[in-house]
Amino acid sequence: MSYFRVNENCNGCLACVENCPASALSFSDRNGRRTLQHNMTKCARCGQCWRICPQEAIEFQYLLVGKWDEVVTLDLIHCQVCGVPLYSTAYGQKLARTLNSTGDALCPQHRQRQAASRWPEVGAGRTKLKLGDK
Amino acid sequence: MIVGDIKPLAEIVSAINEYKQVLVLGCGSCVTVCLSGGSKEAEQLSHELSKMRHYQGTPPKFEVDTIVRQCERDLVLEYQDIPFGTDAILSLACGAGVQTLADALDPLPVIPALNTTFLGASAKQGIWTEMCRGCGDCVLTFTGGICPVARCAKSLFNGPCGGSQNGSCEVGLDTPCAWAMIFLRLQRQNKLHLLEEIRTPKDWRPGGAAGPRKRVRVGLGEGSN
Repeated sequence: MSYFRVNENCNGCLACVENCPASALSFSDRNGRRTLQHNMTKCARCGQCWRICPQEAIEFQYLLVGKWDEVVTLDLIHCQVCGVPLYSTAYGQKLARTLNSTGDALCPQHRQRQAASRWPEVGAGRTKLKLGDK
Repeated sequence: MIVGDIKPLAEIVSAINEYKQVLVLGCGSCVTVCLSGGSKEAEQLSHELSKMRHYQGTPPKFEVDTIVRQCERDLVLEYQDIPFGTDAILSLACGAGVQTLADALDPLPVIPALNTTFLGASAKQGIWTEMCRGCGDCVLTFTGGICPVARCAKSLFNGPCGGSQNGSCEVGLDTPCAWAMIFLRLQRQNKLHLLEEIRTPKDWRPGGAAGPRKRVRVGLGEGSN
């Protein structure tokens, strides 16, 4: 569905095509029918078409607030403990190559807990550094 | 594009603290591209302004929105929703956008959140530099595409001043001398003869010296008559 939409008032007069400063509107006459065409990559959303249309047919609001287009969908890696999504599998692989190791998939909170659990003596206060210790 | 910088927070707070409900309105064009006044900056500013520590009394309530361009009156009037109870708008547009809003929504107060700084371009990510001062009588044809009005600290028209040293301007070593650049580029283009031609003094009236400027596009709207 195009972001450039017209209502039932459009009579194909081509005023919008003629007056689009960005050449984002065009048309084709084929098989006895006229088709209005819009190219979003050229559109400056300047509103000239909306201003110029003698039929008040252009629904410009769809060029101001549109829906999201899906671009790409990738598999995700989740935290091993709580299951929150962390990053994509492809990102995880790049990370592993860069760091030359594969770490556990953990969210920041559980990564912190894992790190703390590796030092039980410090946590329990059993290992205290004395002044002069190196 | 038009480049703007967010005003100091204290200045913004002092301008809005008398209101109860403020619409923080971003602009979706130039100031979005230069990362100072788009939807993201509007959200961030609203978040910061909502903090109690900025106020002696109760902070205003904030709503946030962004429109594609604040500088087009008819678009603003047709498509910009003003939430019920709004008693001021904090605009992140350039000065043209702020004034268009203020005219279109009169008497609702419209407060600028940005200082509009210059017409510029981005040569490197995160850096924008002034390129044009809108003087209304472009001389780039004769100066190798380098503007002496905007890029020479003194806007000189007849070559560099005595402050030009090794290609740098006396205002700072990181500011290139526009006339050194002009000379070197014209040299590369084999067009140094352009500097020897006598030109009439620049007419500054199209640059705003004759009052506020207005452009009428013949054949369109008001220009059709």
